[in-house]
Amino acid sequence: MNAETRSTRGGMIALGQVTPHNIKQLKKLNQVVFPVAYNDKFYKDVLEVGELAKLAYYNDIVVGAVCCRVDTSEGRRRLYIMTLGCLAPYRRLTIGTLMLEHVLSICERDGKLDALYLHVQVNNEAALAFYRKFGFEVIETKEQYYKKIEPADAYVLEKNLRPKEE
Amino acid sequence: MPSSNPLPPKEAALFKRILKCYEHKQYKNGLKFAKQILSNPKYAEHGETLAMKGLILNCLAKKDEAYDNVKRGLRNDLKSHVCWHVYGLLQRSDRKYDEAIKCYRNALKWDKENLQILRDLSLLQVQMRDLEGYKETRHQLLLLRPAQRVSWIGFAMALHLVNEFDMAITVLEEYRKTQQPRSFDYEHSEFLLYENQVMREAGLLEKALDHLHQNQDYILDVLVFQESKADILMRLGRWEEAKQVVESLIERNTENWEYLRLLQRCSAAESTESRLRLFDQLCQRFQRAQAPRRMALYLEYDTADLRQRFRDTLNAYLRAGLSRGPPLFASIKSLYSDAWKVAVIEELLVSYLDEVNAGRDPTCPSAPAESTESDDSLLPCTALWVNIILAQHWSAVGRSADAMRHVDAAIEHTPTMVELYVLKAKIYKRGGDPAKAAQWMEEAQSMDTADRFLNSKCTKYLLRCDRVEDACSMASKFTREGVGAMENLNEMQCLWFLSECARAFQRQRRFGDALKKCIEIDRHFSEMVEDQFDFHTYCTRKMTLRSYMHMLRFEDGIRGHRFFVDAAVMAMNIYLELHDHPVADQDGLHDDQQDNLSAAELKKLKSKQRKAARRAQQQEEQRRDTEQSRPEELDPATLERVERPLDEAARWLQPLQDRAASSVDTHLLAFELHWRRGKPLLMLQAAKRVHAIDPQHPRLHEHVVRLASRTFHVADAVATVLKQELHRLMGGHDVVDFDRRFLEDNRHSLPHLLEAMHVSVVHLKTTPPETAADALYAAKLMGQPLHAGIQMMDALHKGTFGVCTTQQMDTLRQQCRLAWPLATAFE
Repeated sequence: MNAETRSTRGGMIALGQVTPHNIKQLKKLNQVVFPVAYNDKFYKDVLEVGELAKLAYYNDIVVGAVCCRVDTSEGRRRLYIMTLGCLAPYRRLTIGTLMLEHVLSICERDGKLDALYLHVQVNNEAALAFYRKFGFEVIETKEQYYKKIEPADAYVLEKNLRPKEE
Repeated sequence: MPSSNPLPPKEAALFKRILKCYEHKQYKNGLKFAKQILSNPKYAEHGETLAMKGLILNCLAKKDEAYDNVKRGLRNDLKSHVCWHVYGLLQRSDRKYDEAIKCYRNALKWDKENLQILRDLSLLQVQMRDLEGYKETRHQLLLLRPAQRVSWIGFAMALHLVNEFDMAITVLEEYRKTQQPRSFDYEHSEFLLYENQVMREAGLLEKALDHLHQNQDYILDVLVFQESKADILMRLGRWEEAKQVVESLIERNTENWEYLRLLQRCSAAESTESRLRLFDQLCQRFQRAQAPRRMALYLEYDTADLRQRFRDTLNAYLRAGLSRGPPLFASIKSLYSDAWKVAVIEELLVSYLDEVNAGRDPTCPSAPAESTESDDSLLPCTALWVNIILAQHWSAVGRSADAMRHVDAAIEHTPTMVELYVLKAKIYKRGGDPAKAAQWMEEAQSMDTADRFLNSKCTKYLLRCDRVEDACSMASKFTREGVGAMENLNEMQCLWFLSECARAFQRQRRFGDALKKCIEIDRHFSEMVEDQFDFHTYCTRKMTLRSYMHMLRFEDGIRGHRFFVDAAVMAMNIYLELHDHPVADQDGLHDDQQDNLSAAELKKLKSKQRKAARRAQQQEEQRRDTEQSRPEELDPATLERVERPLDEAARWLQPLQDRAASSVDTHLLAFELHWRRGKPLLMLQAAKRVHAIDPQHPRLHEHVVRLASRTFHVADAVATVLKQELHRLMGGHDVVDFDRRFLEDNRHSLPHLLEAMHVSVVHLKTTPPETAADALYAAKLMGQPLHAGIQMMDALHKGTFGVCTTQQMDTLRQQCRLAWPLATAFE
C-alpha cells in the first residue's frame, strides 16, 4: 500500500497496488462502474504497468481504481487513461482527485510525456466537469466510438503536458 | 562396575573406549572396538559388550539387530546394571516407557547410586506420571548430589506434584537461603514466584503474602506479582486492599475481563445496579475501554427499569460500533442466548435501517437535524454496515431469506468488499445449502488469493459439501511444494483439517477413511504428550518452573480438547454403526444378492467374511501393540472390517469419560455402547450422568424410556436398583405418564417432539403410527433448528414413525421448505 493516505468525510483514503492476488477486485469494480466490458488482455496488461494502475481504498475497502498506459500513436508520446472510476456511493469524497493527482505526478516524474488524454462518453456531464477542473480540454469528438451503448459518441479530452512548447 | 564377567585390562580399556565413542557419537569406531573384544574367544559372549554394540546399532537405526544383541548381552549377564540400563534406553527410544522404567529399576538393583540411571529413570517417571516413584528418585538424587541446584529444585517439584506442600516449601526455602541473587536475576525471580505459587496452593496465605513483600525487590515480573497479591488478599478477605491492587491492574490493562470480574467481587457488587455503577465509573475513567462497555451488556436484567437501561446501553454501544463492520456482531453474538435480549437487538437494528432509509445516519452522534446538508449527512459506508449487521442478525435467528436480502443489498452497494461474500457463504451454510456456501466462499477466496485465512475457510467449506479433492487442491495453494496437501497438513498436525476430512468421509459413509483420520488425530495427541519429554530437564535447568507446572497440568488434561473429543465422538459413532450394519466383504455381495447363492456357496462366502473380519481384528490389535514403536500405515479397508467394533468403541470412550465428562455427548454415546452390550446398570449410570448435566435433553428422554421398557435378565438385586433409579429419573411417574409430561413441557421444541414421538410410537406403542404425521403438521416449524427438520424428514422416510403416505410427506416437505427456504435437504 502507498504510504500516502488522506483524510476525507467519514474516513481515510489511500492508493494501493494491483497484484495478481487482488486483480479480481479490480475486475468487479470495473464491471460495476463502467458500461464497457474489458477483456482478459486488458487485465494482463494492467499487471505490467506498475504505478500506472492503482486501486483506491476507502477505510480499507476497494472503492475505485485507475488504469493507464503509455500511448505512442499519432507520433506523440502520451499517457492514456483507460479507466478511472469509483463506486457510486463513494463519489464526491475526493477519491477521483487522489487518483488523478497520482497520475499527474507520474507524468511530471516521467518528464517525456507530451500529453495526458482519455475518452469520455458525450453525455457524462459529471466526468466532463471533473476533468475540465484539472485543465483537460475537448480536442475531438469520436463518433460511434462505443459499440454497444448509447450515445455511442465520445469526446477526446486532453491535457497538454508541455505548456512552454509553441 | 560389578559384572559377572569382568574384563582383563586390555579389554577393559577397549570397553571404556566404546563408551566414549558412544558418547561422542562415533558409532563406527565403537562397533570396531566392540568387534575387537568379541573376537576374543574368551569374551565372545561378553554381556556388557554385546549390550553396548546393540545400543550403537540402535543409533544407526538397525533396530532388529540392536535388540538381538542387547537381549543376548542381557541373557549372558543378568546382574549387570549396564545391560539393564542399555535395554532401558532401547525401550525408551521406542517409546515403551513402562518397560523402560522396569529396566531402569532392575539396573538400579545392581548399582543403587548410579546417577545416570537415576536421572533417566526420573525423567521417565514424570513423563508417565508415576509421581510417587518420581518423588523417591528425586530424593535419591538430592542425597547423592546436594551441591547441584537442579537436585533441590527437582525434589521440590516432585513434592509439589504429590501435594506434599509443607515439605516442598521447606526444600525451596533451604535452597533459597543458599542463593545470592544478582540484580535483575530473572531466574531467581522465577524461582521466587514459583515458591510463592506453592505457598498459595498450600493455602498458606499469610506466609505467601509476607513472602511476596519480603522479596519484592527480587521479583521482576511485576504483573504476576500484582496478580498474586490480589489473589492472596481476596482469599484472605481483605477486600479494600485487594481492590486497590485490582484497580492498578485495570489501569495497566483495561481490556482484561478477569480483572473486571475480580473488581466486582472486591467491591461486593452483587446486584445488577451496583455492577452497572462500577462499569459506569470505569467507562468514565477509561474513555476508550471496550471491556467495561461490553461486559455491562452481559449482566442479568430482570426488572423493567433495568431492561430499559440495557436498551439504552446497547443502543449507545451499537451506534458507536457500527462503523467497525462485521466485528461488531461478533462482539454481541453471545447475547443471543437470551431471548428478550435478542428482541431488543432486533428492534434496535431495524430502527437503524429505518433511519438510514430516511436519510439519517445512526453512527453520527445525534446532532440536531442538520437539514441543510440532508444529502451528505449520511456517511457513505453506513448503509453498508447496517445491512451487514442485519444480515448477520437474521442469519443467527434462522431467517435466512431475510439475511440473504440484506447481504445482497450490501453487495449491490459495495461489490468489491471481500467480507460480504464470506458473509453470503455463511448465510448459505447456516441456511442448509453447503454447496452454494462453498461456491460463494470460492468467490470470496478468488478475490484475494494471498489471504490464507480465506483459503483455509474455503477449504473447510469445500470439505463441508464433501468436495474433498477440491479442498485438497485449495489447501495446497499454501502448503509445501511437491507434497500433497493431505500429507503435508497431517504432518503439520493441522487438526481442523483432519477433523473436517473425517466428518466429510463419515457423511459419505466411507467409514474406513474416516476412521483413519480419527486415528491420525489421536496420534497427534499422543505426539503432543510425547513432546513434553525434553522439557523436564530443560525447564528445571532454566528455572521456568511456573510455566513447566502449567504445561504438566495442561498435558494431563489434553485429551479433553475439543478436537480430540470430536474425533472420539465420531469414531465411536462409526464403530456403533459398523456394529449395527457391518460392511459387506470385498468380493462384495450385499444381502439381497446373497439370496441367489446356493447353500454351500453361501456357507463358503460367510466363512470367508468371518476370516477377513478376524484378520482385520488381529491386524488392529497388532497395530495397537506396535503403535508405540512403529506407527504403521493405516489401511481404511482393514479399519472398517474389524470383527469387534464395540471393543474399539469402548477404547475411544475411555479418554472421553476421563477428560470430557462434562459433555453430554460422552454419556449419550456410552449409553448406546452399553445398550449393544446389554449392560443395564452401565446404561443407567450414563443416563444419570446426562440427567445431571441437562435433564431436559431430548435424547435423554428416549434413553430413559428405552431402558424402562426393556426387561433384562439380571439378578433380582440389580433389577430392583434399576427399577428404583429409573423411577427417580422419571420423576416418580410411570413411563407413559412421563412421556406425556415430557411432551407437554417441551411442546414447542421440534427436537423434543421428535424424541417424544419416537418413544410413543416405537417403545411404548401408545400412539398409532398414522397419527404421528398429524402431530408433526401441527408443530410450528419456523424458528426451529434445521437439523431437527432434517431428522424429521429422515425418520418419516425410513418409516420410524410408521408408514406415511406420499401426500403427507409432500405436505410436510413443503412446510419444511417454507421454514428453511435455503436448505437443500428438502428438495
